[in-house]
Amino acid sequence: MLDTPIARSVIDHALSLGADFAELFIERNQVNSISTLSSEVQAVQSGIDFGIGVRIVYGTKVLYGYTNRTENDELCRIVTELSAKDLRDPETSSASFDFSVPGDIHLAERTLTKGSEVESKVEFLLKADRTARAASNMISQTRGGCLQREQSVEIFTSEGLHASDIRNYIRASLSAIASNGSEQATGGFNDGGLVGWEIQEAIDAEKTGGEAARQALVNLSAKACPSGRMPVVIGPGFGGVIFHEACGHLLETTSVAKKASVFHDKMGELIANPVVNAVDDGTMAKEWGSINIDDEGMPTQRTQLIKDGQLTSFLADRIGAEQTGYVRTGSGRRQSYKFAPASRMRNTFIEPGEAELDDMIASIDRGIYASHMGGGSVQPGTGEFNFAVTEGYYVEKGKVQYPVKAATLISTGPAVLKEISMVGRDFALACGMCGSVSGAVPTTVGQPSLKVDDILVGGNA
Amino acid sequence: MEVAERVLQWVTEAGATGDLMIAEGSSLSLKARDGELEEHKVSSSQVFGIRVIKDDKAGVAYSEAADTAALRLMVDQALVNASYARTDTNEQIPDTEITLATDDALLAPTDDVTVEEKIDAVLRLERELAARDKVTNVPYNGVSDVTAAQRIFSTAGLNAVSRVRACFSQAAALVEEGDKNVMEGWGQGARRFDELDIDHIVDTAHANCLALLYGEAIPSGHYDVIFDTQCQPTMFSTFSMMFSGKAAKDGINPMRDKIGEAIGDPRLDLFDSPLMDDGFGYALFDDEGSPTARTALIAGGNLETFIHNSATAAHFGVQTTGNGARSPRSTLEVQLHQLEIGAGDADDDAVTTGEYLELTDLTGTHSGANAVAGDFSFGASGFLCRDGERIQPVRNITVAGNFYEMLNKIELIGKTRRWDMNRHAFMPPIRFSDVAISG
Repeated sequence: MLDTPIARSVIDHALSLGADFAELFIERNQVNSISTLSSEVQAVQSGIDFGIGVRIVYGTKVLYGYTNRTENDELCRIVTELSAKDLRDPETSSASFDFSVPGDIHLAERTLTKGSEVESKVEFLLKADRTARAASNMISQTRGGCLQREQSVEIFTSEGLHASDIRNYIRASLSAIASNGSEQATGGFNDGGLVGWEIQEAIDAEKTGGEAARQALVNLSAKACPSGRMPVVIGPGFGGVIFHEACGHLLETTSVAKKASVFHDKMGELIANPVVNAVDDGTMAKEWGSINIDDEGMPTQRTQLIKDGQLTSFLADRIGAEQTGYVRTGSGRRQSYKFAPASRMRNTFIEPGEAELDDMIASIDRGIYASHMGGGSVQPGTGEFNFAVTEGYYVEKGKVQYPVKAATLISTGPAVLKEISMVGRDFALACGMCGSVSGAVPTTVGQPSLKVDDILVGGNA
Repeated sequence: MEVAERVLQWVTEAGATGDLMIAEGSSLSLKARDGELEEHKVSSSQVFGIRVIKDDKAGVAYSEAADTAALRLMVDQALVNASYARTDTNEQIPDTEITLATDDALLAPTDDVTVEEKIDAVLRLERELAARDKVTNVPYNGVSDVTAAQRIFSTAGLNAVSRVRACFSQAAALVEEGDKNVMEGWGQGARRFDELDIDHIVDTAHANCLALLYGEAIPSGHYDVIFDTQCQPTMFSTFSMMFSGKAAKDGINPMRDKIGEAIGDPRLDLFDSPLMDDGFGYALFDDEGSPTARTALIAGGNLETFIHNSATAAHFGVQTTGNGARSPRSTLEVQLHQLEIGAGDADDDAVTTGEYLELTDLTGTHSGANAVAGDFSFGASGFLCRDGERIQPVRNITVAGNFYEMLNKIELIGKTRRWDMNRHAFMPPIRFSDVAISG
């Protein structure tokens, strides 16, 4: 996407100004989105983003700029402007680019380059809409969406790295509103992956619509949630957001290097109940959070974060590795050329255990079964996190009693990891978007059902 | 202008109408760590976005490339996209042949602050906060200076340009003592960099940390609650869909059938007030070129109107309220400019009489709220207060309820109104009763 002589010229210019390291990140992002509402197509949108991010490093200082233009003069102007306060004699020279091509384990077939396939996607979304509406006459509205994008990236560095990758993302969703005349409730379902529109062969429009309607109707019948400290069973799949928020962000060198993570000095220590094993894996074929290479050009990998409760690895990008001394893990990611890369999660999950969901429920005298989770957030410095329950049930004397609404779970990462006492077999993954210092990136969360013995439930009862 | 004329000419030749939005921006952001500059980021960007309407169907497309071929492709994509859209006779390009421009002296003022001085500012911010009592780390800090310009041209003859400048500085400190720790911060926005008060940010961030360091949960129960000047606008913004004419048109606004009905306490008056020029949401015209005005959304507890663009207004048979919103990448939406709540009749002392919770921090507002149902459950911290005095810091609690029901659980509305940190909301304190707290 960028002529090699221009890349060479810009990098040489940066090194001539005394930089230790220089990198160009070129991105072309093609987007197509379709939305439906009231059983009709509401909008079809499309566009192309293109830009170049320039990163220059002096010691541990990161200088970053970006532009939409590809001319040598413009890119060198940015380098000159960024380096103005750090000029010094050249300390290093650039290496020749290595144009070897790594393999692609996420090959997509029905890509945006080949066509946006609007009719087929509309057919899928309207079928999901019909299924949801057919579930009950209390389904008053649905909203569908299908977002497909094709991100092409190319990276040049002063260390001779040249890498490129094409990432095809797709995600389809339906949300439903159920109404009984006086109250409204919502439900939703989505699925996606690092693939093309061939995903329609793996995801089911009827399941999408049926699940959205089922959850909306459950929530319409929900009662106010009890509050206070109690045991909670968290369901599989998106329930993994608890680990993502409670622990994953705290293991990124972005916060570890600043000592802004409560786990920054806990390497090798027991930080979780020994039943907990956790992984961040960028290599899973065609999963939403996977990549071939990270946004610094390093092949991604599988990283064991916690083994039998013991902290075994952080997630490190280039700068994070330099600052902490831990090895890079192929975790440098960014939303777009507008962001410098930072250590970020990919497909992050708690590995399956031996327990059964029924046994977890049966072990609760008074608590909550959070079958579906929403999003959340964490403050890395203290480990305090929160996340929302989108479908939950009150449990008493080992039996599920009734659905509850408007519940949030809050705790701290160190505390909740030690409160996980049972880990199930029913492992599942779910896709989401994760926001942090380098923007919003696709990440997968996952886990089997698990039981947390004691956590604060924020309810309205 | 030349580019815009060429692009709109292609639209016209295709038998369509349309408007072209060109957004340009430049920014500087700086972060410090351990007394050194950690990040220095500069940017310049440009994006074109076209909306076309053909046969009463709207389509949008955008491009970050400005060459002729890319812009031609953008127009062609928008026309294709429009062909799939549903027919909507209400969405048309407004027949507005007018030239509009914002006041740069007011909204995008310049100053003489050099890059070196901005670097000095962020280094001083981190250094001085790190030197404060019990502060062990200042992991999050920074200053930024952003200038953005937006131009809108339409086939009807609209030529509108707006420029804004926003400078911001913020810092969050980690304070530790024994086994207790807390991270709190503060920030400030301004239109000129030399209006940022670094000393005030350091003082406030440190004071916020110390005040909450020894916070503990309180027993679960129902409390009177006052959200502070940051949290109260957050609550209203989280549920602002209740004022959206677009959401009402789409059938997802829970208030869609309640125009003219009582939805809140009779003392509650709420406005969208784009013409208060000391707020950062100040706007003389919206993204369709329609003039803005102060709009009463709730008066005496009654829902008066929704906010509208030209399409939602036509759908409901009313006039646009000047709340049309669009970016180069988006379809036509609506958005609030600045929320204003009318002054109440209670003195400050009366609002803070007896025992209540002052909530100063809410977490999970992006995930713990359901604007369709009104239900919410957030993490929270703040202070248990009595007669205006903070008697106990409170952390690790949740606040939950139904926001639409809370509008009818107002005990008192204060007289004194204040801007929030981002200067997008101007409100008096409101004391809500019977709010569920879990501890």
